[in-house]
Amino acid sequence: MSALAHYFEDEGLATVIVALVREHVASMQPPRAMWVPYQLGRPFGAPNDKDLQTRVLRAALELLDSPESGPLLEDFLEQAPHAQGEPGWTFPGVIDSRNLQAEVQSIQPCWQQVRDRSGGSTIGISALSPEQAVEYIRTFHSDEPMSNPKGMSRIGRARFAIDDIKAYYLEAATAGEGHPSSFQLNEWFWEQTLAGAMIRDFQERARTSEDKNLRLIAGSLVPAERANSLRR
Amino acid sequence: MVRLVDVPEPERSVIAELECPTYEHSPFTAPAAPGDRHVALVSSAGFIVRGERPLLPRDAGYRPIASSVADRDILCSHVSTNFDRTGFQQDLNVMLPRDRLRELEHDGTIGKAADVHYAFMGATDPGDLERSARELGQSMLALGVNTVVLAPV
Repeated sequence: MSALAHYFEDEGLATVIVALVREHVASMQPPRAMWVPYQLGRPFGAPNDKDLQTRVLRAALELLDSPESGPLLEDFLEQAPHAQGEPGWTFPGVIDSRNLQAEVQSIQPCWQQVRDRSGGSTIGISALSPEQAVEYIRTFHSDEPMSNPKGMSRIGRARFAIDDIKAYYLEAATAGEGHPSSFQLNEWFWEQTLAGAMIRDFQERARTSEDKNLRLIAGSLVPAERANSLRR
Repeated sequence: MVRLVDVPEPERSVIAELECPTYEHSPFTAPAAPGDRHVALVSSAGFIVRGERPLLPRDAGYRPIASSVADRDILCSHVSTNFDRTGFQQDLNVMLPRDRLRELEHDGTIGKAADVHYAFMGATDPGDLERSARELGQSMLALGVNTVVLAPV
């Protein structure tokens, strides 16, 4: 982002960065940056917290009012609410853990509830339904893999299918009241679901595959602290 | 998925100590007065519009996100375990605060929220971005944009 700021300023645009990694902006010294103390992936603080998002955006824009020519690096120190999550949080529905497809179907009512409430879903990057995405990954290394629809490489689709599976489960997990933290949501997905276990196994096979491209995506599938290799 | 300070090693050091380019000069554009600011958002989340070809790793291109595109049709093609996605799954504004920007236009804090925002793919080599970034810069200027809020993930 600091590089983009450099190029944009050179073209005649005034810029300000809302920075999550202070070390990067401190090193590259863009004209204006504001560090925020939030999780990577949440530069504007917290979902559905309109007031906090507005305060972050307003504070960033105020850096443009400085008469100094920069580099300016300021800290925005307001913490995000609910960062510790919901004590005793559990998945808000009933999960059928007999097998993967049963689990996927049992997740659906919660996912649909969230979809109806929010008006949409972030699923879709693989162009597969959740059931298809699970089947695609489950059979990927088998003798009878699910066919790969046109438009995307087989490995590329596996990467996005895994992302859609995670999104399906994690969206469903927010169906209840309260504010579970991302740690709680991920803890549940990776430690308590069959889908999480399937993806961990997939990653393990990808990591040791003879296919270079499969080895390349292995690192982007499972958080390092959740990988099977750390469980032994 | 946590703040950088909470990221387990060795990932934390890899991210914090990522080699950053240095430049011979530091360009600086004088900002417009608040009421004259025409503001666009630029994200590194690899956003695409549903149905488009996803941005791929190290893709130096960018994608426009028009204000007419509904939140539910904005997908994130930056697949990484290094940043949280659960916030985005609940509310696009935590990554791309286009609703908040429109509200600041309506209350007069800024002159105008851009009709189009943009997304690059994170973790792309900064040097590879120069051509498309300069092209996008010219494109935004042609649309009247004079201010950019950059939001990494």
